[in-house]
Formats: sequence, C-alpha cells, structure tokens
Amino acid sequence: MSALGIASRLNSPSIRRNVPFRPAIAALLVIFCACAALAQALETQIFDPATRTWVTYDPRQAVKYYRAHGQTPEEFQRRIVDFKTAEKPGTIIIDGDKHFLYFVLPNFQAIRYGIGVGKEGFGWAGIVKVGRMQEWPTWTPPAEMVERDPKAAQYKDGMPGGPENPLGARALYLYEGNQDTIYRIHGTNQPWSIGLNISSGCIRMNNDDVTDLYSRVEIGAKVIVLMQGAALYRGV
Amino acid sequence: MKATFSVTVQAAIISCLLAFSSSAQADKLVIGVPAWPSAQVTANIIAMSVKDRLGVETDLQERGTLTILGEIGSGDIDVHPEIWLPNLSQMVERMSKDEGPLRLSQIGVDATQNICVTRGTAASTGIKAVSDLTRPEIAEQFDSDGDGKGEIWIGAKTWSSTEIERIRAHSYGYDKTMNLLEMPEDVAMAAVDAAVAISQPIVFYCYGPHHVFELHDIVTLEEPPYDASHWTIVKRADDPQWLEKSTADTAWDRSHFHIGYATRLEKDMPQVAEFLNRISFDPSDTTAMSYAVVVEGKSPQDVAKSWIEANGDRIGEWMK
Repeated sequence: MSALGIASRLNSPSIRRNVPFRPAIAALLVIFCACAALAQALETQIFDPATRTWVTYDPRQAVKYYRAHGQTPEEFQRRIVDFKTAEKPGTIIIDGDKHFLYFVLPNFQAIRYGIGVGKEGFGWAGIVKVGRMQEWPTWTPPAEMVERDPKAAQYKDGMPGGPENPLGARALYLYEGNQDTIYRIHGTNQPWSIGLNISSGCIRMNNDDVTDLYSRVEIGAKVIVLMQGAALYRGV
Repeated sequence: MKATFSVTVQAAIISCLLAFSSSAQADKLVIGVPAWPSAQVTANIIAMSVKDRLGVETDLQERGTLTILGEIGSGDIDVHPEIWLPNLSQMVERMSKDEGPLRLSQIGVDATQNICVTRGTAASTGIKAVSDLTRPEIAEQFDSDGDGKGEIWIGAKTWSSTEIERIRAHSYGYDKTMNLLEMPEDVAMAAVDAAVAISQPIVFYCYGPHHVFELHDIVTLEEPPYDASHWTIVKRADDPQWLEKSTADTAWDRSHFHIGYATRLEKDMPQVAEFLNRISFDPSDTTAMSYAVVVEGKSPQDVAKSWIEANGDRIGEWMK
C-alpha cells in the first residue's frame, strides 16, 4: 500500500464523498439507464496516513494509482471481514457512501468488495432483490446518449458483451417484487474507477469481483441499500 | 416499534367491531400471530402449552396487530400475544372499558424507546446525551453526505413512534443539526452492522426488547426522565401545525406490552383466561426469542418448543 493508502479511523470516516446534491427521481431514471458509460466525476476523499490529511481521490489519482499498482487501493480489494448482522447468509448489503458491498456469510462474517457508485451515490435506499443475472451482458445506451454521442449511436441496438462493454463481465439485475428497478450491480471496463463516485449510477465492481459475487449469489437474494448520503432521499 | 396505527383507522375498526362479541370457534383457541418474532414465539408458546396441559385445540392465524384486535372484537380471534403500549393505548382503552370485548393481562413486559449509539460511537464522538445532538461539533461527526449535518434514523415511515421522534427532534432542537431519516428497520439495522464493521459513528432510534442489544454493544443516550407536562402530541393527520404545536423534550413514558385476550374466554375457557393472565415474561425472555428467530434463523415453533422445555416449572406455575 502506498502513501495514498486508506486507513480506517475510529473518529472519522476513512472515505468520504462531497456530493451536496439531491437528484430528482425522474433524472435518475434517465441516467441510471446509462449506467457506466458517462464519465463525470465527483470527488471521493480518502485518508492519507502518511500526511494524516484527507486527500482527494479523483479519477486522475485513481488512474495513476491503478497504473502504478495494477489494482485499486487495498481498502477496496475483496476480503473477508467480521460482520455481525441479523441478515441471513447470502444477503447483499450495499454501503455506497463508503464504497463497500458486503455479501453476508455464516458465523458473523462477510465478503467485502470495493465498489464504484454513481456521481450522486446510489440515489436511494431500501430493500430489493436479485431478480435476474447475466454473464457478459449487453449494454444499450439510452436514447439521450445515442442522440448526443456518435460513439454511443453505433450501439443503439445494443453493444454485445465483452471486455469493452461498460457493464463488464456480469450483471445482477435488481428487482422490487417482480419489477425491474433498472438498477444493476455490474462489472466495469474501468477497474480503476472502483472507490469513486463516477459515471452515472448503478453499482460497479471490477470484473473479478463481480464474477466472484455472481458465483455466490442466488436469484431472489435480498439486497439492502443503506442510507448513504441523506440528502439524496431526504423528504422522499 | 412494531405497533402501527392511525387514529382514523382505529376509530373505524372500533366502531364497526365493538358491538360484536360472538364466539368464533367455541372448542378451539384462535391465536393471532403478528409479524414480529417475539410475538410469533409467544403465540406458539401459548398454543403448545394450552394444548399439552389443558387439552385445548388451537389455531394460529397470521394477521397485522390492528387486524388481530379487530378480530378479537368481532369474535374471530381469541388472543393477541403482544399488545404494545402506549402505542395502542387509545384503542385498547376503548375495547376494554365497560365490559368491552378485550381483556389485557395485568402482567406486562417492560419495553424501552430511546436514542442509541454503539459503544464505539460513544467513545469516539464523546456523545452522552440526546441533547448533545444539538451541538454542531457532535452532529457533524454523524455527517455522511458532506452537508455539515449529521444523519439519524428515527424509525420506519409507518410507525406511530416515528412521528413522535420527529416531534422530539424538533423539541430538543436537533432537527436543525441532524437530518432525520425514515427508512425500513432492516435498512437501519444493516446500517448499524456496517457502521460497527468499520468503526463508523452512528446514532439511531432504538426500542427494546430487541435483538440489536444482543448483537452489538449499544449505549442508550441520556435524557431527562419522562415528564407528562413536557409531552403534548398533536397528530400530523389532525393539524397541519402539528409539529409546532407539539412538545416532547424528555424521555418516553414507560413502555410495555401485554397479552390481550377476548373477554368471552373468562366464561368459555376460564382456565385458559387464567393462564393468559399469569404469563410473565422477562425482557430477557423476549430478547432471546427475537434473537433466536432473527439472528440464529430458527423457526418460531422451534424456539417456542425449546423455551417450553427449559421453562416447564414456570408454565406449571402459570397453569395453577
């Protein structure tokens, strides 16, 4: 771990986000369809134990880090952690604010994965379930993007799954009852972006992690999205 | 807190059902089963005990807490295993007075409603009292979205307590320093789990008995003891100025829950009525029941069976 490592502190969050913004649900519907394709970024801050200061962890720094180390900072790498919960093994708990996804294991443990979230975080909190899963999913850009971006226009009928596809190696489709929420947990073709609030919605994981998660999750698994970024749902 | 109701719904149900008092199934004890685990276990303990010791057949019916009370009024259900007070005080009072269709066991289980933090939070933030949340330097330690205000879960949207927690926040003044979050309980409890996992400060409405006190090291924040003269609650549904007209800047009144049963049982099944009147659980019993179902994943039936095996003497006392 370099000087830009991440340390958990008792007094303060080790990772924090500067997102003083509350999106309208309607706007979210549009951008969540775009999922991982847009590249607007908002800052994540991480604690630098070398200087004992909060430093911005933005896309430039993230790319630099990834080039130097070939992976995301240690804090965002997959690991088994102690996790006391009343939720059953197999449940997914998403802490978008801290950029962690927990997969609950027996005996008060969980696998913790690093995630990237949308520029406004996940946008909502609540309880959904995994309704469908797909290997190497097709990505279809939303109409607004097709209209604006010639690169996206060539995929207006869908971009086949593959290494260049922004949805990455696997996708878990989140449902409320029998309805697709249009939120997904998916892989990425930008692994350096884990830990950032970048792009436009959904939960991004690096391809190894989402493949690992995919192999463990069952259809119908409970997914709890935590109350991150209170401004996002205040008054909802 | 589990009990949810609105005054309007209560009134409608009561007005419709108070007049009825016919016996549903004279030879069978019908027990309502609400959605929360301790009540489910209690319902099964009652069912197994009266069948084994008194030879009374039973029927368990899953219903919402309000529906169970309504069906006690209509004669379709005989027992409610866990009626929360003061949450349902108005309805219980109306159904119990003047030989009404409901009897409330005199023996209740003490319950609590407070604002809580984890032990780690208390140590790292220095928070001790509910009023500390009005201090910006304390509140900002619970800030998760960078807006300078902290976040506190005050309950689920449909809970009767949530509206009162909003009044309490306004009365204490921490609605100015904290964002008040209303979310399903599972989301809030998972947030506590995640906060504990990474030593993150968290503050939340808490009620007990509840398994969270077994799962984590929880600290209840201090506040002045309940003072009725400091509590004026105007319902949101009754007045648009409800928040300004309400006050609640002391601790909650003593909370408790009781077994309730149909008055007719005193005549139709007097032994059962006496048994229900004598059942006496400790808060630790209820917490253990909740923990076994929610955390350990056991069925309410299995938990009830184990509890009966371990507490035969107590049940024997209640049956005398």
